[in-house]
Amino acid sequence: MGRESHKMKALSLLRSRICDPKFVFKPLHDSPDSNYSKLKFMISSSITEACNNSILLLGPRGSGKSAVLELVVGDLLVEYPDMISVIKLSGLLHSDDNCALKEVARQLCMEHQLQFSKAASFDDNSQFMVAMLKECGLAHKTIVFILDEFDQFAQGKQRLLYSLLDAMQSITSQAVVIGISCRLDADQLLEKRVRSRFSHRKLLFLPPSTEDSKRILEQVLSLPVDSSFPHDYAVEFNRKVQDILEDRRFKETFNKYLNLDSSIKHLLRFLFCAVSCMDLQTGFLTYENFETAFSSILRQPKLECLKNCSILELYILVCMKRLEVKEQTLCNFNSIMKEYKNVHDSFQTSDYYARNVCLRAFEHLINRELICFTDSRGYGSSVEFRPVKLLISSAELHQGLKAYHSCPAILHKLMDREG
Amino acid sequence: MMRSKTSSVADYMDKEQTPKITRRTTRSLASATTLDNPVTEVTNFGPPSAANHPMVEGDPEVDKEGTPQIPRRTTRSFASAFNSDNIATKVTSIDPPTINDLLVGGDPISLDDLISAFPGRRSQIVELMRLLGPLNSPTLPLFVYGGPSTGKTSIILQLFRHLNRPLVYSSCSTCYNQRILFESILNSLFLHRKSAANGYSNAKRCDRPSDFVNFLRDALANVINNLKSNSEKLTSNKMAARGTGNMIYLVFDNFHLVREWDKSSTIVPFLFNLYDLLNMPEVGLIFISSTSPDTYYANMGYVEPVPVFFPDYTEVDLHQIFLRNQANQKLYSSFLDVVLRPFCRVTRQVDELFTAFKSLFEKYCEPLSDHSVAPSEDMKRRLFSHLKPHIGSYLNEIFKISSLPSLEVEIHKETKRKGNPKKLERSEEIEELEFHMSTCAKYLLISAFLASRNPVTLDDSLFDPTGGLNNRKRKRKTSAKAQEQKQSAEEELVTKGPGTFPLERLLAIFQCIVSVAEDPSDEEEQRNGGLGIEGGKGGLMSDVLLQLSSLCNANFIIKGGSCPIEGSTRYRSAISEGLALKVARSLKFPLSKYLYRR
Repeated sequence: MGRESHKMKALSLLRSRICDPKFVFKPLHDSPDSNYSKLKFMISSSITEACNNSILLLGPRGSGKSAVLELVVGDLLVEYPDMISVIKLSGLLHSDDNCALKEVARQLCMEHQLQFSKAASFDDNSQFMVAMLKECGLAHKTIVFILDEFDQFAQGKQRLLYSLLDAMQSITSQAVVIGISCRLDADQLLEKRVRSRFSHRKLLFLPPSTEDSKRILEQVLSLPVDSSFPHDYAVEFNRKVQDILEDRRFKETFNKYLNLDSSIKHLLRFLFCAVSCMDLQTGFLTYENFETAFSSILRQPKLECLKNCSILELYILVCMKRLEVKEQTLCNFNSIMKEYKNVHDSFQTSDYYARNVCLRAFEHLINRELICFTDSRGYGSSVEFRPVKLLISSAELHQGLKAYHSCPAILHKLMDREG
Repeated sequence: MMRSKTSSVADYMDKEQTPKITRRTTRSLASATTLDNPVTEVTNFGPPSAANHPMVEGDPEVDKEGTPQIPRRTTRSFASAFNSDNIATKVTSIDPPTINDLLVGGDPISLDDLISAFPGRRSQIVELMRLLGPLNSPTLPLFVYGGPSTGKTSIILQLFRHLNRPLVYSSCSTCYNQRILFESILNSLFLHRKSAANGYSNAKRCDRPSDFVNFLRDALANVINNLKSNSEKLTSNKMAARGTGNMIYLVFDNFHLVREWDKSSTIVPFLFNLYDLLNMPEVGLIFISSTSPDTYYANMGYVEPVPVFFPDYTEVDLHQIFLRNQANQKLYSSFLDVVLRPFCRVTRQVDELFTAFKSLFEKYCEPLSDHSVAPSEDMKRRLFSHLKPHIGSYLNEIFKISSLPSLEVEIHKETKRKGNPKKLERSEEIEELEFHMSTCAKYLLISAFLASRNPVTLDDSLFDPTGGLNNRKRKRKTSAKAQEQKQSAEEELVTKGPGTFPLERLLAIFQCIVSVAEDPSDEEEQRNGGLGIEGGKGGLMSDVLLQLSSLCNANFIIKGGSCPIEGSTRYRSAISEGLALKVARSLKFPLSKYLYRR
C-alpha cells in the first residue's frame, strides 16, 4: 500500500497544480516589469495615496488576467489588512444593471455585516452604494471593484458603469475599478460620457513565448525533492521529465499544439490530459502520454461523425453533393430521392431502400448536424419539402469516404465523376 | 323505499318464517360500526377510490326504521387501514434525505463487472476513469459526446456507482428551461425533498444565473463540509480510500438541448464558464451531449472542456451486445450472422436494430420446433434459406414499430372470421386507416388535399356546383410542348411541395364533395344504424371550422402566413398521397377522379 500511495500522491499533486491557476502564474510574473508588479504598484499607490483609479486588463482568453489579479489582491489583503474591501461582479451574470447593483449592495452588506433587503429597488441600491463609498472614503478604506467580462457591461445603456465612475469623481470616495475583458477594444465600446471619466490605463496580457511555456511545463511537472516523496523516486521522476522535454519528437508535438493556441489555459488542458494518462504501475511520465493527450484533445469531429454514419446515410450525402455540383438551386428530400433513384437505375446498386427508411436516415443526418435546414423555424411545410444544405465540404466528404472501412466502391466513383 | 332484491328475500323468507326485513350489511361496514366513530367518520374520509369501489355483495340496504339511508360504500382494506392510528403518520415516516442520497447507490461493482457490462466500451471507460482521477483530486470539466444510444449516460452513472463518489445528476430534457434546471440542482444539493409538509415547493426560488451562482456556492460549501467531516471520521488510511471523498460532481445530461432554449446565447457560455466562476476545486463538471463541441456556437468564448468521444458500435460490438441475455446463444448467434450485416448498412443504432430484430427472430425460428436446441450447420443453412426472401421486406420496414395488438382484438378477429365473411371485408378496409376520424374531418382532409394538389384553374372543370363530377372529357394534348409543361409542373410539385389555398376555396370544394357523397351514403346510414352525417348539410357546416382547427392542431393541415395581396390566411395540406387514398377509401370516395394527374 505504501508503495502505491506515493505514486498516487504524485499524480494527485500534479493534477491539483494544473487545476490551480495561481500556482502556474506566480513564478511567471515575479520580474519587475511584469504585469503583476505593475498592477500591484498601481493599486497599492491608490490605497496609500487615497485616490481613485481605474484600469483595464485586456488579453486573449486564458492568458491569466483573473489569476494575476487574484494574486495581487491576495497579497494586498495581507499587506494592508482592513483597508480594502473587494466587490466582484461578472458580466456573464450581472450584465443587467438592476441585477448588478443588487449584487454590489449584497456584497457590501456581507462585508460590513449589514442587513441586506432583497426588495430594495434600483434607486435604493444606488443611493446605498454612493453612501457606502462616502463612508468608506471618510474611513480611509478603499473599495476595489472587479468587473469580469467588462465588455458585457458595456452593452446597453451602461448605467452601472456611469454611476460607478461618476461616484468615483467626488473627493470623498476612494475606489479602484478594474475591468477584465477578452476584447482588445473594450474601451472603444464605452459611451462618451463614461469614457471621459475613465482613465485610459490598459494592461495587455500576451500569451507566453515558447521558452516561457517550456518553463511553465518544467515547473508544473517537477516533483518537490523534499520529505513528502521518497527521494529516489522524486529525482528519477524529474529526470525522466527532463528527458521527455529534450526529446525531438516531443518538441515537434509541443510546437504543433502551441501553434493552434498558445494561451496558458490551453496548455494546461493539454498537461491535464497527459498527466491523467500517467501509468500508475511505473509511476513515471512517458512521451506516449503526451502523444495520447495530443490526439485525444485535437479531434476532427466531422470526420468522426462521418465514420459513424451508416451506408444509406452516406448515399444520401453523396446524392446531395451531386445535386450541388449539378447546380440545382433547390435541394430537399424529394429531390434527393429522385437523384437516389437515378443513381440506382443507372448503376444497379444493391442498396435501394423504401422511402420511409430513407426519410428516417435523413433525420438521423439532421440530428448529427451533417446537414441542416436552410429556412429557420420552417413550420410552414413538412420535412420532405424543406430545403436543406450540407454542412461539410466536399474535401471532408472525400476524406470521410476514404476513411470509411467498408465503403462501397460506387460511392467513390460517384464522387469522382463530378469532381 | 324497498329494493327489489330485499323484497325477493322477504318473499322467500315468507315461506319459512314471518317476513322479516333483515338489514343486509357488508363485512366492512359491520367492522366499521364497531369502532368508536361509525358511519359518519367513513363518509368524512371518503377518498373517491374507496367510495366508488363496487361491493361484491349487496345493494345499499334499507334501514330498519324504513328511512332510506344509503351509507358510503367502502372496501375491506380501507376499513382495516382506518383501524390504524393516523394516516398522516405514514407520510412522515419517510426519512429526510442525507448526503448518502447523492451517491448512485446499489451494490458496489468492480471494474471488471463494469467493463463486461458494456461490451466495446473498454477504452472509453478507462479514459473516463483516468480523467476523473484518484480520490480527492480536482478535475477540469469533461465533455462526453457521441451518437444517440451509445451508452454515455449509463456508463457515467455506473462508473460513479463503481467509484462510489457523490454526484448530482440533472437532465436538460426533463429540466426544460433554466429555472427548472437551477432549482432541481439546488434541491439535490440542499438535500431538499418535495413533500406535502413543505407544500411541494423547491428549496430556493432561482431564476437568474446570478442567484444560481450565489445559492450554488452556499450549497456546495455545505455539502463539501459534510463530506469532509464524514471522511475525517474514517481515520485510518485504508478506510479513507474506500470512502466517498471530498469532491462532488455535477452531471448535465442531454446538453445539446440547451442550445434551443430561450436564453441559449447566455446560458451556454454561462454553464461552460461555471467552473471558472465558482473557483472551487472540489467541484467537477461533466457535460453529456449527443453532438460534438464544435456545434455549440456562442457569442462569448469559453475555455473548452476536455472532450471524450463515444463512437458508434462496430459490428463486432453489436454482435456481443445482442447476444446478452439471450436464452439460446448459439441459435441467436447464427441469426445475427445472417441479419447483422445487411441491417447495419441502414443503421447502426442499437435501439432501432433491437426493435427490428425482435420480430425477425420470431420469423427465423418458425421452422424450428424446439427453440432451445443448438443448430447444426445443416439446420443453419435451412433457416437461412427460409429467412432470406423476407430480409428485403423487413429491411424496408426497419424503422416501423408496429403496435402489438391487444389480446381482445385478437379474439375479436377470430370471432369475426368465424362469422360473416362479407363483414370481414369491410372491417379489413376500415382497419387500413389506423386511427379514427369523424366523417366531417375526413371530407375536410380530402378537400384540403385536393386544394393543395390541384391548380386553382381546374376547380371549375372538376367540380360541378350542383354536385357530381363534371363529365366533360378533358382533351389531352400530346405535343412535345405539353410534355415539357407536364414535366416542369411535376418538378414544381416535387420541389415546392403542396400549394397553399385560402379558406374560401377549401369550403367551396368541401361543399361540392359532400353534396356528391351525401346521397349514396344515406343508404349506408340505414344499414349501419345511423353512424355518419347527421342533420344533412346544415349540421355538417357548423362543425367545419371546429374540425378545421383540430386538423391544424394535429398537423394534417398547416396554417401558413397570409397572402400579401388578399390578406386572408392560407392553409396547406400536409398529408401524403397514401394517407389521402386511405381516407378516401374508407369513405368510398373516388379520389383519383378528382386528382390532377400529370
